[in-house]
Amino acid sequence: MKMLLRATLAGLTAAAVSPLVAMAQGQAPALAEMVAAGTLPPLEERLPTNPEVVAPIDSIGTYGGTIRRFLSGSNDHNSFLRFVGPQGLTRWQADFSEVIPNVAESWTTNEDSSEFTFKLREGMRWSDGEPFTADDIMFFVDDLLNNEEFYPTAPARFVVGGETMQAEKIDDVTVKLIFAAPYGTFLTELATPLAQEPVLWAKHYCQQFHPAYNADVQALVDASPAVEDWPSLFRLNCGEVEAPNRWSNADRPTLDPWVVTGEGYTAGSTLVMMERNPYFWKVDTEGNQLPYVDTLQWGVAQDAQAILLEAIAGNVDMQARRIASLANQPVLFENAEKAGYKLFQRTAADSNDMAIHFNHTHQDPEMRALLTNKDVRIALSIAIDRDEIIDIVYQGVGEPWQIGPLPQHSLYNEQLGRQHTEYDPDRANEILDAAGYDQRNGDGVRLFPSGEPIVFNVNYPGVETPQHGDTLEIIKDHWADIGIGLNATSVERSIYYARGEANEHDFMVWGAPGGLDPTLSPRDVLAVHPQASWFAIPWTRWYLSGGTEGIEPSESMKTRLALYDQFKAEADQEKALGLFRQIHQMAADEFEIIGITFRPSTYGVVNAKLRNVPEALPGSWMYPDPAPTLPWTYYYAE
Amino acid sequence: MIWRYILKRILWMIPFMFGVSVVSFLLIQAPPGDFLTTYIAKLGESNELLDQATIDNLRARFGLDQPLYVQYFKWVGNVLQGDFGMSFEWRQPVNELVWERMALTLLVSMATLLFTWAIAFPIGVYSAVHKYSIGDYIATTIGFIGLATPNFLLALVLMYIGVVYFGSDVGGLFSPEYQNAPWSWGKVVDLMNHLWLPMVVLGTSATASLIRIMRANLLDELHKPYVDTARAKGLSEFWLIMKYPVRVALNPFISTIGWVLPNLVSGAVITAIVLSLPLAGPLMLQALLSQDMYLAGAFVLLLSLLTVIGMLISDILLVLLDPRVRYD
Repeated sequence: MKMLLRATLAGLTAAAVSPLVAMAQGQAPALAEMVAAGTLPPLEERLPTNPEVVAPIDSIGTYGGTIRRFLSGSNDHNSFLRFVGPQGLTRWQADFSEVIPNVAESWTTNEDSSEFTFKLREGMRWSDGEPFTADDIMFFVDDLLNNEEFYPTAPARFVVGGETMQAEKIDDVTVKLIFAAPYGTFLTELATPLAQEPVLWAKHYCQQFHPAYNADVQALVDASPAVEDWPSLFRLNCGEVEAPNRWSNADRPTLDPWVVTGEGYTAGSTLVMMERNPYFWKVDTEGNQLPYVDTLQWGVAQDAQAILLEAIAGNVDMQARRIASLANQPVLFENAEKAGYKLFQRTAADSNDMAIHFNHTHQDPEMRALLTNKDVRIALSIAIDRDEIIDIVYQGVGEPWQIGPLPQHSLYNEQLGRQHTEYDPDRANEILDAAGYDQRNGDGVRLFPSGEPIVFNVNYPGVETPQHGDTLEIIKDHWADIGIGLNATSVERSIYYARGEANEHDFMVWGAPGGLDPTLSPRDVLAVHPQASWFAIPWTRWYLSGGTEGIEPSESMKTRLALYDQFKAEADQEKALGLFRQIHQMAADEFEIIGITFRPSTYGVVNAKLRNVPEALPGSWMYPDPAPTLPWTYYYAE
Repeated sequence: MIWRYILKRILWMIPFMFGVSVVSFLLIQAPPGDFLTTYIAKLGESNELLDQATIDNLRARFGLDQPLYVQYFKWVGNVLQGDFGMSFEWRQPVNELVWERMALTLLVSMATLLFTWAIAFPIGVYSAVHKYSIGDYIATTIGFIGLATPNFLLALVLMYIGVVYFGSDVGGLFSPEYQNAPWSWGKVVDLMNHLWLPMVVLGTSATASLIRIMRANLLDELHKPYVDTARAKGLSEFWLIMKYPVRVALNPFISTIGWVLPNLVSGAVITAIVLSLPLAGPLMLQALLSQDMYLAGAFVLLLSLLTVIGMLISDILLVLLDPRVRYD
């Protein structure tokens, strides 16, 4: 599998190969009845002249049926997003290899990748039947993105060189997005789950909540309880890209394959029903309008265990979210036949299940001196018997591994992934002695020069990642052999994050992303993520503030961050990947973070009668599974 | 006289509710971090990430970057106008979210209360009058088991039996086909079919303790001289017990009105989660966990208010029922 995560050329090729569609053929029987009754326009008028033609992975489907899924009690709204799909201008190819057109029919890019001209699909319509045109994108750029009341700070993905994206309407179906500086990764960025905003809001509906179009908007604000200004009125009715309110208004027009009905999704929901969008703009290779399945039914369970119970009772038709874990695997496997489901593999896109982020910006000078000493980190790494951990904690599934792209990825860097994973406690002891930590106290624990024992105090969120607690207990034994103390305590996860944000940690443990999506999730090799680059949170502040806040990073990191800036601007695919290879090599030489093992793949359930569902799919946030596998092509066999 | 008493009690509620608002606001704010740190953490579980600009915008939008007292007065100011604000997590007006849940919560509370009384009263009287009989022993045993069994465990056992032996869908308050349907006769029947389980589960321990209290109180009364006097005057045994000692022993029943509601919302959270009941408890717990200030605050305020009103009602009823209770 080739994982090229950029898409400069994809648009051009897609425009060339995109076939002239066979005339629209089939539609769902219920819609055909409505057409016959005259309550819905005929199919040809509902589809764009050039709908997206999707080739189902197994076979052409038949219409009908309901797919049942479950949400857990709170903060689970992204489950919708990941199933009905972020219908952005571009999207991922199903194998996560490249970016292809989605809402946009095609695009062209200027020479230095600062201007992107998108051709939209002529005759495409919102779910209420109104036309979708360049005006909708102009509405987003001119009236929302560049409106300080709506976005006091514009989302980072639409800002380059300190300037917010601008747009120019060429004609009704052509729009040019303009940046102040080169932005080579923009098309890839558009395929990520939260970059859907340019085509999220229907102007004809949402303009009633905008003061530029509705002079009386203040009257609406006053009439709505709890709403204080027009942006909150707008968001309440038109939704946000990443919030439950996006799924709570059945009147809001969308481009999604299914739309919510009734009350939609609110805190009080116990069941959310979604129905097919009669204007959905994708067809199969025989010209049948998608989606095949009539309705989506989302139960709301109060917790993940309840979802598991529903799954093994056969009440879940396609889901990995909240139930796919190593611990649940046996029970899911056992009940498969009885409950009538199969398992599908969710290939971890992550690199490591547990990375150890040594705090390079520790507030205590002695601890900082210890942790920023590369030899010490090597000693700590080779003192861990990873095979023992894999056997005990991971049921034997895994392989000793540090961080970085997985071996099957084109950016694979063997040194970054495999260096210092051999178990050699004797050499670890020698290294530590040589590094000047040769004094020990009565318990055999090594001492800092000041005479304090070297003991790490570490937190981990035990509810979310219980396996990390087990692993840390084993590491505690391993490190005791080299005279290093370790106390691991489970804490509530917001406390965990708060400690990290306050830079109060010795080290943090968390999964390392970037196995199959290294350029999209580089937070372990680059100090770019202020909540998750735990090895140096103050460095990320320095980088994001342009050097005014935080702590100045190491020379190596500064060079890497400069390379990263070049990468984001670089239009040439090969050159851009070359830049990332340099970044990975420097990270490998610095050896800031260590890891334990590959993240094991997990298994979700899929109704045995459901077709066109791949047997394995990548699981990642940047590839918001399962949407890129096109759930609108799933169908029930007889 | 009683009107003055009621008026005085109502006036006292004002400073009390003010105190509740301060305490609940501070308690909800007390854990480290704020809504956004919890939100980031929760999304981080699925490795879902937000960029810093989005987080800064949200923090400014929710006013979380302002000093505590500013946040407090903004909140209380809105509450006084009947506006509980916008839920951080759900981005929807709290008023809509709260009332939906509170209505069902009240319904379940009342059903549970009636169930508790209907069971506890006759059994309590019986086991007091027939002290140390077989029936008393059986009632006592069941009572102690009921007291000792955690509600959620009972819920799990009953659910298991329901699923395995009766093949019924036991979770929630409605069947899937009625969940989003408007109210109709069918939906009411469906509700009744589902209501018995939470009613039994939630009512069991309260029933058990009420049986014990009823029995103990009645035993105290049964041997008092006035009972003997009444018996000597030839009153039938049934009327004798019902009319005098039971009436005196009834006070604990009335007192329960006040606390049944807060108990149901806060004490029965685990049960409600296990049974997937769309009650206020689980939503409030989520709101507290995610530090969704306005939503959690609204629940706490409403619950306190209902508790205070419940207490007032039970006090008034006590006065009416038992002339010995004084109201000044």
